[in-house]
Amino acid sequence: MATVLVTDDAAFMRMQLKDILTKQGHEVVGEASNGQEAIDMYSELQPELVTMDITMPEVDGVAAVKEIKKINPDATVIMCSAMGQQGMVIEAIQAGAKDFIVKPFTSERIEEALAKAL
Amino acid sequence: MNKPSKVIVFQLNEEQYGVDITQVISIEKLTEITKVPKTSDFIKGIINIRGEITPIIDLKDRLQIGRSEYTDDTRVLIVQMNDVQVGLIVDSASDVIDIDEGSIDPPPKVIGGVSETFIIGVAKLKERLLILLDMEHVLDLDEVNEIKSVTNES
Amino acid sequence: METNQYIEVFLDESREHLQAVNDHLLELEKQPEDTSIVGEIFRSAHTLKGMAATMGFEDISSLTHKMENVLDLIRNDQLVVTTELIDITFNCLETLEEMVESIAEGGDGKKDVSDLVNQLEAIEKGEQPASKESENSSNTVETVTALEVDEYQKTVMDQAKEQGFQSFQVTVTLNEDCMLKQARVFMVFEVLEDLGEVIKTVPSVEELEEEQFDHHFSVLLLTKEEAEEIRSKVMKISEIKQVDLSPFSDRKIEKQENNQKEGTQKEKTQPEKSENNKQQSQKKQAQSKSIRVNIERIDRLMNLFEEVVIDRGRLEDISRKIGHNELIETVEHMSRVSKDMQNMMLTMRMVPIEQVFNRFPRMIRGLAKDLDKKIELEISGAETELDRTVIDEIGDPLVHLIRNSVDHGIESPQERSAKGKPEEGHLQLTAYHNGNHVYIEIEDDGAGINREKVESKAIKNGILTEEEAEKLTDEEVYPLIFSSGFSTAEQVSDISGRGVGLDVVKNTIESLGGQIFITSTPDQGSKFTIQLPLTLSILSAMLVNVQKETYAIPLSFIEETVMLKNDEKMFVNGQAVMDFRGKVVPLVSIQTIFEVPQNIEQNDKQDEAVVVVKKGDKLTGLVVDNFMGQKEVVLKSLGNYFKDVFAISGATILGDGSISLIIDPNALMKG
Repeated sequence: MATVLVTDDAAFMRMQLKDILTKQGHEVVGEASNGQEAIDMYSELQPELVTMDITMPEVDGVAAVKEIKKINPDATVIMCSAMGQQGMVIEAIQAGAKDFIVKPFTSERIEEALAKAL
Repeated sequence: MNKPSKVIVFQLNEEQYGVDITQVISIEKLTEITKVPKTSDFIKGIINIRGEITPIIDLKDRLQIGRSEYTDDTRVLIVQMNDVQVGLIVDSASDVIDIDEGSIDPPPKVIGGVSETFIIGVAKLKERLLILLDMEHVLDLDEVNEIKSVTNES
Repeated sequence: METNQYIEVFLDESREHLQAVNDHLLELEKQPEDTSIVGEIFRSAHTLKGMAATMGFEDISSLTHKMENVLDLIRNDQLVVTTELIDITFNCLETLEEMVESIAEGGDGKKDVSDLVNQLEAIEKGEQPASKESENSSNTVETVTALEVDEYQKTVMDQAKEQGFQSFQVTVTLNEDCMLKQARVFMVFEVLEDLGEVIKTVPSVEELEEEQFDHHFSVLLLTKEEAEEIRSKVMKISEIKQVDLSPFSDRKIEKQENNQKEGTQKEKTQPEKSENNKQQSQKKQAQSKSIRVNIERIDRLMNLFEEVVIDRGRLEDISRKIGHNELIETVEHMSRVSKDMQNMMLTMRMVPIEQVFNRFPRMIRGLAKDLDKKIELEISGAETELDRTVIDEIGDPLVHLIRNSVDHGIESPQERSAKGKPEEGHLQLTAYHNGNHVYIEIEDDGAGINREKVESKAIKNGILTEEEAEKLTDEEVYPLIFSSGFSTAEQVSDISGRGVGLDVVKNTIESLGGQIFITSTPDQGSKFTIQLPLTLSILSAMLVNVQKETYAIPLSFIEETVMLKNDEKMFVNGQAVMDFRGKVVPLVSIQTIFEVPQNIEQNDKQDEAVVVVKKGDKLTGLVVDNFMGQKEVVLKSLGNYFKDVFAISGATILGDGSISLIIDPNALMKG
């Protein structure tokens, strides 16, 4: 259905997301482990959707959203947040993120987020 | 010691032997024996009898009349003497019989190759002789330990 | 993951909660009207959900979440407890237990729970759509009317109206499980402000920012857009359950005050309840004055203590040799104290058998269902304490025996009433102390053991000859069911015919130093009695293979295990040695020293398995064939028949009934 770039510094979370997304019929075209990688891979792969962890080394998720939005103002980014990162989430939404999902993820929640964002 | 009145009959080589039924706890089939290193040759090792670690003796070896070949008939007599539970390997165990005390003769010097020190007496039955063993002597610990100490040097 | 350090606590607490769910479910089945029990189950499920989510075990959390939803409906009298519902909840519990155990064994705790989730969802949606809808509509009424405007806002509205703006009251309901509500609200406002102007919110913007609202909030929106357009744009945001729009007019102002009060009252009851919960759980914690100690720590303490015991022996020897009275007295006193200490340590490992018994009510329930039998289980003496090692091992044999009783012992209701017995079979599970032993009894009022069947089976399997059979008493025949490869079931049933016989039960019990007895009377029932030692001499040991034999080496002696490459083996004066952290360590081959016969073909193996043992600062490498792993073993003496056997300190019976000798590394120390 959609091509997705998964961004998270934890391989475990990437795996989990990839698994859920793949099961829902999406194609994970790339996995980035920090914000900078996500920015680079975004321009290269031009995925239809990016999932973006917030806390990451080097370039964090919020900064990455801002950069990606510069590359493509219509980019669809969904933030992956943990509890207690409300402020960051709001900042990311202001920066243009379409939606956010809160860890731990449920498959239904991801399905909803993607359906609504795309 | 008292002459037994009820004995368990078992075979060693072709001879029939008897042991006082009150000294026998059970008769078991032979299960896998765990060897214990550096012990006398006639101690074959230990087996698990209902959770009790039980030393196993090849009775023929102990009586110096050869060694046991293990067959389907091979049985282990679990005997108890002075708080020690020991299993004796015999060729087969078949019967329990009553013995009239009057039919027991004192032991001859050697019978069936077994030295008289191991024997209480010989019971004359209708068509056969039954050699009654002196368990206390068969299981004599000091002798066992003496034998072991010889092998203990290496 | 850094959560690893919490895993033990997570497992412990999860098990506790699962047990609580189990107990309460059984209770609930008896008293389906008692919603306070449902509350307890809800609380356990909720706690589990939270813990699992934190640990990242999402299958557990998603399943518990669905359970929570259903339980919540029951709690609020919107759903009735049915057998079906309890069955599904039990299935959930079983799955949760499997997941938790898989985590305990190092797995990921993942499992496909979609089936159960669907079932729960069906219950949640299917059986009570009417009530839910009515609830929602009442919600809507209640919240929609809850807007009030002041003079200033009224003026703004009037002006806007003149410019062609419409006023809508928009009430947004978030999903109940919505997290980061503030961010969600922020997104809603972003959308709304794009469509028009928000002039009023209930609750206030500040309250919304602080998440001081339940799941819904209302805004007064001035817009030129159509209602449908607004709704669909807001619904585009995730985790929005419902959007209600109604044109706003002042007429509602008067009514709303009452309603608002009602609304706030409702909200108040909620936090109070949760505070109550908190208090209760705090109370629970305060009741028991115990601390949780990892069993490994106790074991380490025991291992250290074993060394003390060795030194104690040495000291006793020395003091006897020297013959100094004061020294002898002191050493004797120390010996007594250390024996007490040893006993204390053994009792620290004691846990109530409740842990094991707890799972049986449910098991019996399930078995009875599967077999169409009626069975009542009575448990007594669950508080009886046993050594931890025994508790860990005794579960499976008990399961086996209970299955056996349920399957072969207790008859079907028809058979029972034909025999003039009550339809419901009785199974009694009892534990008690007596002398130096603990007894566990499993007694049923079923058909009893069929002597003829046992006999003929035993004869058929060559366990018994016909002549022998004739001489045996019933008491001698019954134990034959514990012979290996024996099974009296005519049909191998799903319940007890699992490919393992009761001989495994016997072996396990014997490996714990216990025994099992049977009594049985035809048509009156059977009783299995397990006798177990109260305390055990337990030794943590590493099991190793030497040819076909298995030896145990006490862990307290082991410095390390090493795989030694062939070229790392050296010789000094004909003695094989190895380099171990810069030290020259002599090697001793267990095979050579114990004269173990060579009965496994040796293909040029490259590496040798070496167990480095230490005594004081002396090290020696014991060469074995394989490491089999660590195990807690029950130390048994070789008995009086063997006096001091060279380098063997005792024996232990392994789970398969075979014997392994325990090596005494003291005697093997070189150099």
